[in-house]
Amino acid sequence: MPKCKINGQEVEVEAGTTIIEAFKKLDSEIAHYCYHPGLSVAGVCRLCMVEIEGNPRLQIACNTVVQDGMVINNNSEKVKETVKWGLDFHLINHPLDCPICDQAGECELQIQYMKFGQYDPEMAEPKVKKNKVVDLGSKIVLDSERCILCSRCVRFTEEVSKTNELGIFNRGDRSEIGTFDGKPLENDYAVNTVDICPVGALTSKDFRFRQRVWYLKNKETVCPGCSTGCNVKSYYNEEGLFRVKPRQNDEVNGYWMCDKGRDTYKFVNKENRLLEPKVGQSGQWDSQEVDGVMSVMSTKIDDAVKSAGSDKVALVLTGQYTSEEYASMLSYFVGHLKSKNVYHWVNNPESFDEFDGLLLRGDRNPNTKGLLNGLDQHGITAPWSDLETKLNAGDIEVLLVAGPEDPSVFPTLTEKVSLFSKAKNLFWMSAAKTEAADSATTKTWQIPLKTYAEKEGTFVNHKGIEQKIQPMVNIVDCAQTLSEVASALSGQKVDHLGSLVKDRKTNHFINHHGGGL
Amino acid sequence: MEIKLLSEHYDKPEFQGLDGYKKLGGYEPLKKAFQMQPKAIIEMVKESGLRGRGGAGFPTGVKWGFLPDNGEPRYLLCNADEGEPGTFKDRLMMERAPHQLIEGMIISAFAVGSHKGYIYIRGEYNEPTAILQKAIAEAYDAGLLGKNILGSGFDFDLDVYQGAGAYICGEETGMISSLEGKKGQPKLKPPFPAVQGYLGKPTIVNNVETLAAVKYIIRDGADGYRKHGTEKSAGTKLFSVSGNVMKPGTYEVPLGYKLMDLINIECGGLKPGRKLKAVIPGGSSAPVLTAAECADATMDYENLAQKGTMLGSGAVIIIDDTNCMVDMLKVILHFYHHESCGQCTPCREGTGWLHKIVSSIYSGTGRLQDIDLIQQVADHMAGKTICALSDAAAMPAVSFVQKFRSEFEFYVREGRSKVKGAVDAQV
Ligand SMILES: Cc1cc2nc3c(=O)[nH]c(=O)nc-3n(C[C@H](O)[C@H](O)[C@H](O)COP(=O)(O)O)c2cc1C
Ligand code: SF4
Ligand code: SF4
Ligand code: SF4
Ligand code: FES
Repeated sequence: MPKCKINGQEVEVEAGTTIIEAFKKLDSEIAHYCYHPGLSVAGVCRLCMVEIEGNPRLQIACNTVVQDGMVINNNSEKVKETVKWGLDFHLINHPLDCPICDQAGECELQIQYMKFGQYDPEMAEPKVKKNKVVDLGSKIVLDSERCILCSRCVRFTEEVSKTNELGIFNRGDRSEIGTFDGKPLENDYAVNTVDICPVGALTSKDFRFRQRVWYLKNKETVCPGCSTGCNVKSYYNEEGLFRVKPRQNDEVNGYWMCDKGRDTYKFVNKENRLLEPKVGQSGQWDSQEVDGVMSVMSTKIDDAVKSAGSDKVALVLTGQYTSEEYASMLSYFVGHLKSKNVYHWVNNPESFDEFDGLLLRGDRNPNTKGLLNGLDQHGITAPWSDLETKLNAGDIEVLLVAGPEDPSVFPTLTEKVSLFSKAKNLFWMSAAKTEAADSATTKTWQIPLKTYAEKEGTFVNHKGIEQKIQPMVNIVDCAQTLSEVASALSGQKVDHLGSLVKDRKTNHFINHHGGGL
Repeated sequence: MEIKLLSEHYDKPEFQGLDGYKKLGGYEPLKKAFQMQPKAIIEMVKESGLRGRGGAGFPTGVKWGFLPDNGEPRYLLCNADEGEPGTFKDRLMMERAPHQLIEGMIISAFAVGSHKGYIYIRGEYNEPTAILQKAIAEAYDAGLLGKNILGSGFDFDLDVYQGAGAYICGEETGMISSLEGKKGQPKLKPPFPAVQGYLGKPTIVNNVETLAAVKYIIRDGADGYRKHGTEKSAGTKLFSVSGNVMKPGTYEVPLGYKLMDLINIECGGLKPGRKLKAVIPGGSSAPVLTAAECADATMDYENLAQKGTMLGSGAVIIIDDTNCMVDMLKVILHFYHHESCGQCTPCREGTGWLHKIVSSIYSGTGRLQDIDLIQQVADHMAGKTICALSDAAAMPAVSFVQKFRSEFEFYVREGRSKVKGAVDAQV
């Protein structure tokens, strides 16, 4: 393995490692705009200049492979001067949009300028004018004047999404990003281009003008959009969530996430939430207190078990909850009630096994694997058809349903609610406010649950990798977790951390410092 | 004195056709080459001292030696883009002696083991394209191209590909991108074309004149070729002379020839009453020489390098005392601003910036500090980009400002040219 010296520090790297990667390995700073570890090398921004002993010409770090014995620096006056000018070349035609630019606060140009710049502009002549509000498709807007032509977005559509919508048109300082004739930037991964755009040239229609980024906090979590479990950062304030961005995890999602996953912040927010418990049916509902509903539920279950046995009580679970919640609910059901009447509601059986080849899976639940592991551990095998038979025969006295957190991935919601309405008493637990639940035709209690953004716990992705989520907001005060429901029902604290998962692979992503641009 | 190898028969119309070409000794060197081992040809080209005539002057035989021995198909590309302002020697050869290029290419292909070649020709060159295509068809009919050429067992196919007129497609990797059907912009190096070029395969790119010269090296032997020129600059060179001389045109002289002789003898001197002010010796990207520097300049790689400029493509632009250097620099920078492909930030932004600064001076709104700014901007464009276009813009800018600073200062102070008779600034 070749060894080299970077700014005096010795480092050993694998053969074939580029100098910029060696800098990253040392956590040593190096300016760059066009380099992105998930894309091919373009070598166009010319900012990553380094001095290599014995070579009079500065070299770009992103396209130079470390050779054994190389002595490299990027802190000599020569390099600093070059980087300062490199930045200047990026800025001379850049508009003074920062006050109205969505990227402000997380803009690589601003960051570099604060480090290397802070001087008055040299150019006295007028700047080049380019197109400013270019509609690239349903999700993204381009501002060509802000674009620094790093070509990251183009390379993304060529190499990652492989959809080739983008190109650089014209040449010289008239160059502009654009889409090829009649083909808008419209693919399931398009918004990644907004993330990797180092400036405010590409902005997301969903997020633009909604928040100044410095007013948002963020936390690392896992996308609940499908069984891939992309590692993400969610951005929020006290009002709720505003956007989701991917975090690097080579084992799970590389650097990317899908655009569907980016919408998973929406159902967390107040306007889509079930805000309080309620009781009723067929569109007629009355507010309830949580404690009251819990004690009704407890009584109904006890009565049913006492009069007709635990067979009259059933539980429906979806893959939308944490492993800890499944453990609590299952230990309540199997241990306390001695019932194995637990059913897995597969929300979209037709497309459940699909995979788009990149990240997005047809299993649009974050923790199907965690649920299956739990069921398996308790020897629960009852097929869905059993539940249908029992419900149709009027054999279910009390039905508990842990329904959707994200109703948009439950295409047959209304149909299912009408099936569940065949139970005498329905306890519908969900974070979401849905017309489907409101249309239940049996006596129903709706209990608001917490979303992935309001609790901690574990999701097990399709590969069996365990990943932790953590709470960041509190949108609905009275919302419960399934564990809280289980403990209220059993009158005792349930062990949250049953070792549920077989073959567990631990993924210490929470402390992962990957990421980067 | 002119020594004519490549241009010997330019004035004979029959040299354009295959029959006339053969009568005048054409395709005899090819037969000779087929008697040789390819490696021996490469050695001979190395010994001849031939250096690339496209601009960079890289030793041709050495370049050929970079091809990896990996069994992959190899391509031979002829650079006939001839975009460097002031250059027109390749055009003349393709019009007057198309078979000379074809023969040079077959020999070179045989030497480097390539079975497919392209002549990438400048978009504006419609007439030369037609002439070349006709000559290629003749060569195919005569068994000089295609399978088993002249019974040698060697196959070589040749096509002409016409560009769309972008200067940057003359840069070898820009040319390769264009030939691959992509946007014509240079590729990051490494990898170099000899290792990974056209379609990712080992590729040799040579200029029209370089490839044609190979024919004469085979004909006369390495020593025969070396007889002309100097120790480090062997052979003859075609110079495209333009500007303020009585007889502009293409002249073939041995390398090492005196610049002033080229001007005064071959080109008939300056127009009456004019004084020499400057010469750009190697195309618009070469740093300019003052009249004083021209006095002892010789046209070879080493002397011009020593004078801080270069032989480049051999385009000699003669500038007399009626020209305004601010105006000239503005025209040159307009060209590079227009032609930068725009990938690399220093070139994309710098070419436009330089052009704007000099335009400001030209239109009378320049500031004195702009003169130093030109130098600074240019300094940070040179040697920092993917290809040499950025340097090509920076070098004339620096040299014009350094060597003719008083003209720039006068322009800034007075808002008009120092040169009487030069066209006044029109904003
Ligand atoms: C911007 C730019 C434009 C160029 N244009 C030409 C050209 O028009 N013709 C040419 O032969 N070489 C041109 N070159 C040089 C080529 O890149 C390459 O060095 C040459 O074709 C190699 O051939 P040679 O070794 O026979 O000279 C250009 C280089 C640059 C940087
Ligand atoms: S739009 Fe953004 S990502 Fe694309 S080239 Fe411009 S600056 Fe780079
Ligand atoms: S692929 Fe799945 S986990 Fe990843 S972002 Fe999309 S929905 Fe979320
Ligand atoms: S130096 Fe200029 S012309 Fe050459 S690749 Fe870079 S931007 Fe294009
Ligand atoms: S990061 Fe190396 S050239 Fe842009």
